[in-house]
Amino acid sequence: MSLLKEFTKGIGKENPTFVLLLGMCPTLAVTNNAVNGCSMGLATLFVLLGSNMVISMIRHLVPKKVRIPCYIVVIASFVTIVDLLMQAYAPAAIYESLGIFIPLIVVNCIVLGRAEAFASKNGVVASIFDALGMGVGFTLSLMLLGGSREFLASGSLFQIKLIEGWSNDFMLMGQAPGAFILLGVFLGIINWVKLRKAKKEGRDWTPPGLDCHQCNLCDLGGK
Amino acid sequence: MSSNKVNVPVLVVALAVIAAIAAGLLGWVYLVTEAPIAAAQQAKTTAALSEVLPVFDNQPGQETSTVNGVTFYIGRKGGKIIGVAGETITSKGYGGDVTVLAGLQPDGTLTTVLVTKQTETPGLGTRVCERKRQKTLSGLIRGVEETGLPPNEVLDQFGGMKTEPGAPEWKVKKDGGQLDAISGATITSRAVAGAVFTISETFAQNRALLFKETH
Repeated sequence: MSLLKEFTKGIGKENPTFVLLLGMCPTLAVTNNAVNGCSMGLATLFVLLGSNMVISMIRHLVPKKVRIPCYIVVIASFVTIVDLLMQAYAPAAIYESLGIFIPLIVVNCIVLGRAEAFASKNGVVASIFDALGMGVGFTLSLMLLGGSREFLASGSLFQIKLIEGWSNDFMLMGQAPGAFILLGVFLGIINWVKLRKAKKEGRDWTPPGLDCHQCNLCDLGGK
Repeated sequence: MSSNKVNVPVLVVALAVIAAIAAGLLGWVYLVTEAPIAAAQQAKTTAALSEVLPVFDNQPGQETSTVNGVTFYIGRKGGKIIGVAGETITSKGYGGDVTVLAGLQPDGTLTTVLVTKQTETPGLGTRVCERKRQKTLSGLIRGVEETGLPPNEVLDQFGGMKTEPGAPEWKVKKDGGQLDAISGATITSRAVAGAVFTISETFAQNRALLFKETH
Protein backbone atom coordinates (compact mmCIF):
# COMPACT_ATOMS: atom_id res chain seq x y z
CA MET A 1 0.00 0.00 0.00
CA SER A 2 1.74 3.12 -1.15
CA LEU A 3 1.59 6.28 0.93
CA LEU A 4 0.75 8.39 -2.08
CA LYS A 5 -2.39 6.34 -2.54
CA GLU A 6 -3.39 6.95 1.08
CA PHE A 7 -3.03 10.63 0.40
CA THR A 8 -4.85 10.88 -2.92
CA LYS A 9 -7.81 8.70 -1.96
CA GLY A 10 -9.07 11.45 0.37
CA ILE A 11 -9.08 13.97 -2.44
CA GLY A 12 -10.69 11.82 -5.09
CA LYS A 13 -12.00 8.30 -4.64
CA GLU A 14 -12.98 8.63 -0.97
CA ASN A 15 -13.55 12.38 -0.81
CA PRO A 16 -15.21 12.98 2.58
CA THR A 17 -17.69 15.57 1.33
CA PHE A 18 -18.67 14.44 -2.15
CA VAL A 19 -18.25 10.65 -1.88
CA LEU A 20 -18.50 9.62 1.79
CA LEU A 21 -20.94 12.47 2.56
CA LEU A 22 -19.43 12.95 6.01
CA GLY A 23 -19.17 16.19 7.95
CA MET A 24 -22.29 17.71 6.45
CA CYS A 25 -22.78 20.18 9.30
CA PRO A 26 -19.82 22.47 8.53
CA THR A 27 -20.24 21.74 4.82
CA LEU A 28 -23.68 23.31 4.79
CA ALA A 29 -23.22 25.88 7.53
CA VAL A 30 -19.98 27.72 6.93
CA THR A 31 -19.51 27.54 3.17
CA ASN A 32 -21.12 30.91 2.49
CA ASN A 33 -17.83 32.16 1.10
CA ALA A 34 -14.51 30.77 -0.01
CA VAL A 35 -12.51 32.16 2.91
CA ASN A 36 -14.79 30.58 5.53
CA GLY A 37 -14.80 27.26 3.69
CA CYS A 38 -11.03 27.27 3.44
CA SER A 39 -10.39 28.13 7.09
CA MET A 40 -12.92 25.57 8.32
CA GLY A 41 -11.23 22.97 6.14
CA LEU A 42 -7.80 23.84 7.49
CA ALA A 43 -9.00 23.72 11.11
CA THR A 44 -10.46 20.26 10.47
CA LEU A 45 -7.26 19.21 8.72
CA PHE A 46 -5.22 20.10 11.80
CA VAL A 47 -7.55 18.20 14.14
CA LEU A 48 -7.57 15.17 11.82
CA LEU A 49 -3.80 15.16 11.58
CA GLY A 50 -3.35 15.34 15.34
CA SER A 51 -6.00 12.80 16.24
CA ASN A 52 -5.01 10.29 13.55
CA MET A 53 -1.39 10.52 14.60
CA VAL A 54 -2.01 10.09 18.34
CA ILE A 55 -4.67 7.41 17.90
CA SER A 56 -2.46 5.27 15.69
CA MET A 57 0.30 5.64 18.29
CA ILE A 58 -1.89 4.50 21.17
CA ARG A 59 -3.91 1.92 19.22
CA HIS A 60 -2.27 -1.05 20.95
CA LEU A 61 -2.45 0.47 24.44
CA VAL A 62 -6.15 1.31 24.47
CA PRO A 63 -8.49 -1.51 25.58
CA LYS A 64 -11.03 -2.20 22.83
CA LYS A 65 -14.03 -1.65 25.09
CA VAL A 66 -13.17 1.96 25.91
CA ARG A 67 -11.60 2.92 22.59
CA ILE A 68 -14.39 5.27 21.51
CA PRO A 69 -14.28 7.38 24.72
CA CYS A 70 -10.50 7.46 24.44
CA TYR A 71 -10.67 8.63 20.82
CA ILE A 72 -13.20 11.30 21.75
CA VAL A 73 -10.91 12.60 24.50
CA VAL A 74 -8.02 12.82 22.02
CA ILE A 75 -10.17 14.51 19.37
CA ALA A 76 -11.74 16.95 21.84
CA SER A 77 -8.28 17.91 23.10
CA PHE A 78 -7.10 18.77 19.60
CA VAL A 79 -10.28 20.73 18.88
CA THR A 80 -9.79 22.76 22.06
CA ILE A 81 -6.20 23.43 21.06
CA VAL A 82 -7.32 24.64 17.61
CA ASP A 83 -9.99 26.79 19.23
CA LEU A 84 -7.52 28.44 21.61
CA LEU A 85 -4.89 28.93 18.91
CA MET A 86 -7.43 30.50 16.55
CA GLN A 87 -8.67 32.84 19.26
CA ALA A 88 -5.11 33.93 19.88
CA TYR A 89 -3.65 34.15 16.40
CA ALA A 90 -6.32 33.96 13.66
CA PRO A 91 -7.87 37.19 12.32
CA ALA A 92 -10.81 38.09 14.56
CA ALA A 93 -13.21 38.25 11.62
CA ILE A 94 -12.53 34.64 10.62
CA TYR A 95 -12.84 33.31 14.18
CA GLU A 96 -16.11 35.18 14.61
CA SER A 97 -17.69 33.99 11.38
CA LEU A 98 -16.82 30.34 12.10
CA GLY A 99 -18.10 30.76 15.66
CA ILE A 100 -19.61 27.67 17.20
CA PHE A 101 -18.55 25.46 14.28
CA ILE A 102 -14.96 25.28 15.53
CA PRO A 103 -15.91 23.53 18.83
CA LEU A 104 -18.32 21.40 16.77
CA ILE A 105 -15.42 19.77 14.90
CA VAL A 106 -15.48 17.34 17.86
CA VAL A 107 -18.61 15.74 16.48
CA ASN A 108 -17.50 15.86 12.86
CA CYS A 109 -17.92 12.32 11.54
CA ILE A 110 -14.83 12.56 9.38
CA VAL A 111 -12.56 12.82 12.41
CA LEU A 112 -14.01 9.95 14.46
CA GLY A 113 -14.61 8.02 11.24
CA ARG A 114 -10.96 8.15 10.22
CA ALA A 115 -9.88 7.30 13.77
CA GLU A 116 -12.06 4.21 13.88
CA ALA A 117 -11.74 3.09 10.26
CA PHE A 118 -8.11 3.89 9.62
CA ALA A 119 -5.89 5.12 12.44
CA SER A 120 -6.90 2.34 14.83
CA LYS A 121 -5.77 -0.26 12.28
CA ASN A 122 -2.74 1.32 10.62
CA GLY A 123 0.70 2.64 11.47
CA VAL A 124 1.58 6.21 12.32
CA VAL A 125 3.01 7.22 8.95
CA ALA A 126 0.12 5.76 6.96
CA SER A 127 -2.34 7.46 9.34
CA ILE A 128 -0.64 10.81 8.86
CA PHE A 129 -0.95 10.50 5.08
CA ASP A 130 -4.57 9.38 5.43
CA ALA A 131 -5.31 12.43 7.59
CA LEU A 132 -3.54 14.77 5.21
CA GLY A 133 -5.45 13.36 2.24
CA MET A 134 -8.82 13.48 3.98
CA GLY A 135 -8.12 16.98 5.35
CA VAL A 136 -6.99 18.35 2.01
CA GLY A 137 -9.96 16.70 0.29
CA PHE A 138 -12.33 18.25 2.83
CA THR A 139 -10.67 21.67 2.52
CA LEU A 140 -10.82 21.61 -1.28
CA SER A 141 -14.48 20.52 -1.23
CA LEU A 142 -15.45 23.28 1.21
CA MET A 143 -13.52 25.81 -0.85
CA LEU A 144 -15.23 24.67 -4.03
CA LEU A 145 -18.66 24.86 -2.41
CA GLY A 146 -17.90 28.13 -0.62
CA GLY A 147 -16.39 29.72 -3.70
CA SER A 148 -19.33 28.71 -5.91
CA ARG A 149 -21.84 30.00 -3.38
CA GLU A 150 -19.97 33.27 -2.93
CA PHE A 151 -19.73 33.78 -6.68
CA LEU A 152 -23.37 32.93 -7.34
CA ALA A 153 -24.53 35.12 -4.44
CA SER A 154 -22.55 38.27 -5.05
CA GLY A 155 -20.20 37.84 -7.99
CA SER A 156 -17.11 37.81 -5.82
CA LEU A 157 -14.44 35.30 -4.85
CA PHE A 158 -12.29 35.43 -1.70
CA GLN A 159 -14.07 38.72 -0.85
CA ILE A 160 -12.88 40.31 -4.09
CA LYS A 161 -15.65 41.49 -6.39
CA LEU A 162 -15.10 40.05 -9.84
CA ILE A 163 -18.23 41.45 -11.47
CA GLU A 164 -18.41 45.05 -10.38
CA GLY A 165 -21.95 45.91 -11.49
CA TRP A 166 -23.37 43.16 -9.24
CA SER A 167 -24.88 45.26 -6.48
CA ASN A 168 -27.77 43.16 -5.16
CA ASP A 169 -26.95 39.82 -3.58
CA PHE A 170 -28.64 36.64 -4.77
CA MET A 171 -29.54 35.73 -1.22
CA LEU A 172 -30.68 32.14 -1.73
CA MET A 173 -27.11 31.05 -2.43
CA GLY A 174 -25.76 32.83 0.63
CA GLN A 175 -28.17 30.99 2.92
CA ALA A 176 -28.38 27.37 4.05
CA PRO A 177 -30.93 26.31 1.36
CA GLY A 178 -28.46 27.43 -1.30
CA ALA A 179 -25.86 25.13 0.25
CA PHE A 180 -28.25 22.17 0.05
CA ILE A 181 -29.16 22.93 -3.56
CA LEU A 182 -25.59 23.41 -4.69
CA LEU A 183 -24.35 20.30 -2.85
CA GLY A 184 -27.11 18.33 -4.60
CA VAL A 185 -26.09 19.73 -7.97
CA PHE A 186 -22.44 18.81 -7.37
CA LEU A 187 -23.35 15.27 -6.24
CA GLY A 188 -25.55 14.89 -9.31
CA ILE A 189 -22.75 15.94 -11.62
CA ILE A 190 -20.27 13.59 -9.92
CA ASN A 191 -22.66 10.63 -10.18
CA TRP A 192 -23.44 11.46 -13.81
CA VAL A 193 -19.75 11.51 -14.71
CA LYS A 194 -19.14 8.21 -12.91
CA LEU A 195 -22.14 6.60 -14.60
CA ARG A 196 -20.97 7.71 -18.03
CA LYS A 197 -17.48 6.43 -17.41
CA ALA A 198 -18.81 3.07 -16.19
CA LYS A 199 -21.04 2.74 -19.26
CA LYS A 200 -18.13 3.41 -21.61
CA GLU A 201 -16.15 0.67 -19.92
CA GLY A 202 -19.16 -1.63 -20.00
CA ARG A 203 -19.43 -1.86 -16.21
CA ASP A 204 -22.50 -1.74 -14.04
CA TRP A 205 -22.57 1.19 -11.66
CA THR A 206 -25.18 2.43 -9.24
CA PRO A 207 -24.78 5.55 -7.16
CA PRO A 208 -23.69 4.75 -3.61
CA GLY A 209 -26.66 4.19 -1.32
CA LEU A 210 -26.82 4.62 2.40
CA ASP A 211 -26.65 0.92 3.27
CA CYS A 212 -23.90 -0.59 5.36
CA HIS A 213 -22.00 -2.06 2.41
CA GLN A 214 -21.00 1.37 1.18
CA CYS A 215 -19.33 2.32 4.39
CA ASN A 216 -16.18 1.02 6.03
CA LEU A 217 -16.51 2.66 9.42
CA CYS A 218 -17.37 -0.52 11.30
CA ASP A 219 -17.59 -4.25 10.67
CA LEU A 220 -21.39 -4.42 10.26
CA GLY A 221 -21.04 -4.20 6.49
CA GLY A 222 -19.48 -7.63 6.58
CA LYS A 223 -16.54 -7.24 4.22
CA MET B 1 -7.73 -8.40 24.89
CA SER B 2 -7.91 -12.12 24.35
CA SER B 3 -10.57 -12.95 26.91
CA ASN B 4 -14.11 -11.65 26.86
CA LYS B 5 -14.07 -10.93 30.57
CA VAL B 6 -14.32 -7.22 31.27
CA ASN B 7 -11.47 -6.06 33.40
CA VAL B 8 -13.01 -2.90 34.76
CA PRO B 9 -9.97 -1.51 36.63
CA VAL B 10 -7.84 -1.76 33.46
CA LEU B 11 -10.48 0.12 31.45
CA VAL B 12 -10.82 2.80 34.10
CA VAL B 13 -7.06 3.25 34.42
CA ALA B 14 -6.58 3.41 30.65
CA LEU B 15 -9.25 6.05 30.19
CA ALA B 16 -8.10 8.00 33.25
CA VAL B 17 -4.49 8.07 32.07
CA ILE B 18 -5.49 9.33 28.63
CA ALA B 19 -7.80 11.93 30.11
CA ALA B 20 -5.09 13.07 32.53
CA ILE B 21 -2.51 13.45 29.76
CA ALA B 22 -5.05 15.35 27.66
CA ALA B 23 -5.93 17.61 30.58
CA GLY B 24 -2.27 18.36 31.24
CA LEU B 25 -1.64 19.18 27.59
CA LEU B 26 -4.70 21.44 27.43
CA GLY B 27 -3.64 23.22 30.59
CA TRP B 28 -0.27 23.94 29.03
CA VAL B 29 -1.80 25.22 25.76
CA TYR B 30 -4.20 27.38 27.77
CA LEU B 31 -1.32 28.95 29.70
CA VAL B 32 0.62 29.60 26.51
CA THR B 33 -2.31 31.18 24.66
CA GLU B 34 -3.81 33.10 27.59
CA ALA B 35 -1.78 36.25 27.05
CA PRO B 36 -2.13 36.35 23.23
CA ILE B 37 -5.93 35.84 23.51
CA ALA B 38 -6.23 38.70 25.99
CA ALA B 39 -4.03 40.84 23.76
CA ALA B 40 -6.12 39.98 20.69
CA GLN B 41 -9.32 40.95 22.50
CA GLN B 42 -7.77 44.15 23.79
CA ALA B 43 -6.57 44.99 20.28
CA LYS B 44 -10.08 44.43 18.94
CA THR B 45 -11.61 46.81 21.49
CA THR B 46 -8.92 49.41 20.93
CA ALA B 47 -9.30 49.15 17.15
CA ALA B 48 -13.06 49.70 17.37
CA LEU B 49 -12.63 52.58 19.83
CA SER B 50 -10.07 54.33 17.68
CA GLU B 51 -12.58 54.27 14.81
CA VAL B 52 -15.19 56.20 16.79
CA LEU B 53 -13.03 58.42 19.02
CA PRO B 54 -10.60 61.18 18.07
CA VAL B 55 -6.92 60.35 18.58
CA PHE B 56 -6.53 59.46 22.26
CA ASP B 57 -3.48 58.72 24.41
CA ASN B 58 -5.05 56.91 27.37
CA GLN B 59 -6.54 53.40 27.60
CA PRO B 60 -10.30 53.93 27.09
CA GLY B 61 -10.77 50.18 27.30
CA GLN B 62 -9.80 50.39 30.97
CA GLU B 63 -11.66 53.60 31.77
CA THR B 64 -15.24 52.46 31.59
CA SER B 65 -18.47 52.92 33.48
CA THR B 66 -21.83 51.31 32.85
CA VAL B 67 -25.12 53.18 33.23
CA ASN B 68 -28.51 51.69 32.33
CA GLY B 69 -26.95 48.99 30.18
CA VAL B 70 -24.73 51.40 28.25
CA THR B 71 -20.98 51.05 28.70
CA PHE B 72 -19.08 54.31 28.29
CA TYR B 73 -15.41 54.48 27.36
CA ILE B 74 -13.71 57.77 28.08
CA GLY B 75 -11.09 58.94 25.57
CA ARG B 76 -8.50 61.46 26.74
CA LYS B 77 -5.59 63.32 25.30
CA GLY B 78 -3.19 64.90 27.75
CA GLY B 79 -5.67 64.14 30.56
CA LYS B 80 -8.45 66.14 28.91
CA ILE B 81 -11.61 64.36 27.78
CA ILE B 82 -11.81 64.57 24.00
CA GLY B 83 -14.59 62.09 23.36
CA VAL B 84 -16.75 59.35 24.80
CA ALA B 85 -17.73 56.08 23.20
CA GLY B 86 -20.96 54.39 24.28
CA GLU B 87 -21.68 50.73 23.68
CA THR B 88 -24.96 48.97 24.17
CA ILE B 89 -26.63 45.72 23.16
CA THR B 90 -30.15 45.72 21.77
CA SER B 91 -32.22 42.57 21.53
CA LYS B 92 -34.51 44.05 18.88
CA GLY B 93 -32.46 42.89 15.90
CA TYR B 94 -33.96 40.48 13.39
CA GLY B 95 -31.50 37.68 14.12
CA GLY B 96 -30.70 38.29 17.78
CA ASP B 97 -28.59 40.77 19.68
CA VAL B 98 -26.99 43.72 17.94
CA THR B 99 -24.08 45.51 19.64
CA VAL B 100 -23.75 49.18 18.73
CA LEU B 101 -20.74 51.37 19.48
CA ALA B 102 -21.16 55.12 19.06
CA GLY B 103 -18.66 57.94 19.45
CA LEU B 104 -19.77 61.18 21.06
CA GLN B 105 -18.11 64.54 21.41
CA PRO B 106 -17.90 65.81 25.02
CA ASP B 107 -21.06 67.91 24.41
CA GLY B 108 -23.04 64.84 23.32
CA THR B 109 -22.98 65.27 19.54
CA LEU B 110 -22.69 61.90 17.82
CA THR B 111 -19.72 61.36 15.53
CA THR B 112 -19.30 57.83 14.23
CA VAL B 113 -21.51 54.78 14.73
CA LEU B 114 -20.31 51.19 14.38
CA VAL B 115 -22.06 47.85 14.76
CA THR B 116 -19.50 45.64 16.47
CA LYS B 117 -21.45 42.40 16.79
CA GLN B 118 -24.53 41.16 14.95
CA THR B 119 -26.16 38.04 13.55
CA GLU B 120 -28.53 39.67 11.05
CA THR B 121 -29.57 38.17 7.72
CA PRO B 122 -26.61 38.24 5.31
CA GLY B 123 -27.34 40.57 2.41
CA LEU B 124 -30.22 42.39 4.13
CA GLY B 125 -29.74 43.21 7.79
CA THR B 126 -25.97 43.14 7.44
CA ARG B 127 -26.19 46.04 4.97
CA VAL B 128 -27.33 48.21 7.88
CA CYS B 129 -24.50 46.99 10.08
CA GLU B 130 -21.41 46.56 7.96
CA ARG B 131 -18.80 49.07 7.06
CA LYS B 132 -16.96 47.01 4.55
CA ARG B 133 -14.74 48.14 1.77
CA GLN B 134 -15.51 45.99 -1.24
CA LYS B 135 -12.30 45.03 -2.96
CA THR B 136 -12.75 44.79 -6.69
CA LEU B 137 -10.68 42.99 -9.27
CA SER B 138 -10.07 46.11 -11.37
CA GLY B 139 -9.19 48.03 -8.22
CA LEU B 140 -6.59 45.40 -7.30
CA ILE B 141 -5.12 45.43 -10.79
CA ARG B 142 -4.88 49.23 -10.85
CA GLY B 143 -3.48 49.17 -7.32
CA VAL B 144 -6.07 51.53 -5.86
CA GLU B 145 -5.48 51.90 -2.14
CA GLU B 146 -8.41 53.37 -0.21
CA THR B 147 -8.11 54.29 3.43
CA GLY B 148 -10.40 55.57 6.14
CA LEU B 149 -13.64 54.19 7.49
CA PRO B 150 -15.86 52.82 4.73
CA PRO B 151 -19.23 54.60 4.50
CA ASN B 152 -22.58 53.13 5.48
CA GLU B 153 -25.68 55.09 4.50
CA VAL B 154 -27.70 54.10 7.56
CA LEU B 155 -25.01 54.46 10.21
CA ASP B 156 -23.65 57.70 8.76
CA GLN B 157 -26.89 59.63 9.21
CA PHE B 158 -26.41 59.69 12.98
CA GLY B 159 -23.28 61.87 12.67
CA GLY B 160 -24.00 65.32 14.06
CA MET B 161 -27.22 64.27 15.81
CA LYS B 162 -27.73 65.07 19.47
CA THR B 163 -30.48 64.61 22.00
CA GLU B 164 -31.59 66.21 25.26
CA PRO B 165 -33.08 64.33 28.21
CA GLY B 166 -36.77 63.71 27.60
CA ALA B 167 -36.61 64.34 23.86
CA PRO B 168 -38.73 62.07 21.62
CA GLU B 169 -37.11 58.90 20.34
CA TRP B 170 -35.58 58.81 16.86
CA LYS B 171 -37.59 56.84 14.38
CA VAL B 172 -37.14 55.48 10.91
CA LYS B 173 -39.30 56.97 8.15
CA LYS B 174 -41.63 53.98 8.14
CA ASP B 175 -42.56 54.75 11.76
CA GLY B 176 -43.08 58.46 11.06
CA GLY B 177 -39.51 59.53 11.84
CA GLN B 178 -36.83 61.10 9.69
CA LEU B 179 -34.19 58.36 9.50
CA ASP B 180 -33.62 56.41 6.31
CA ALA B 181 -33.77 52.64 6.57
CA ILE B 182 -32.66 50.00 4.09
CA SER B 183 -35.70 48.47 2.43
CA GLY B 184 -36.08 44.86 3.50
CA ALA B 185 -34.15 45.55 6.69
CA THR B 186 -36.52 47.83 8.59
CA ILE B 187 -36.29 45.79 11.78
CA THR B 188 -32.49 45.98 11.86
CA SER B 189 -32.53 49.70 10.99
CA ARG B 190 -35.08 50.28 13.76
CA ALA B 191 -32.98 48.31 16.27
CA VAL B 192 -29.82 50.25 15.43
CA ALA B 193 -31.65 53.60 15.59
CA GLY B 194 -33.08 52.63 18.98
CA ALA B 195 -29.68 51.60 20.31
CA VAL B 196 -27.98 54.80 19.12
CA PHE B 197 -30.78 56.84 20.71
CA THR B 198 -30.36 54.93 23.97
CA ILE B 199 -26.63 55.69 24.00
CA SER B 200 -27.22 59.35 23.17
CA GLU B 201 -29.99 59.80 25.74
CA THR B 202 -28.16 57.93 28.51
CA PHE B 203 -25.13 60.11 27.87
CA ALA B 204 -27.23 63.29 28.00
CA GLN B 205 -28.81 62.20 31.27
CA ASN B 206 -25.61 61.13 32.96
CA ARG B 207 -23.09 63.51 31.42
CA ALA B 208 -22.21 65.29 34.67
CA LEU B 209 -21.93 62.01 36.56
CA LEU B 210 -19.71 60.39 33.92
CA PHE B 211 -17.30 63.30 33.73
CA LYS B 212 -17.10 63.76 37.49
CA GLU B 213 -16.62 60.12 38.27
CA THR B 214 -13.65 59.72 36.00
CA HIS B 215 -11.74 62.80 37.08
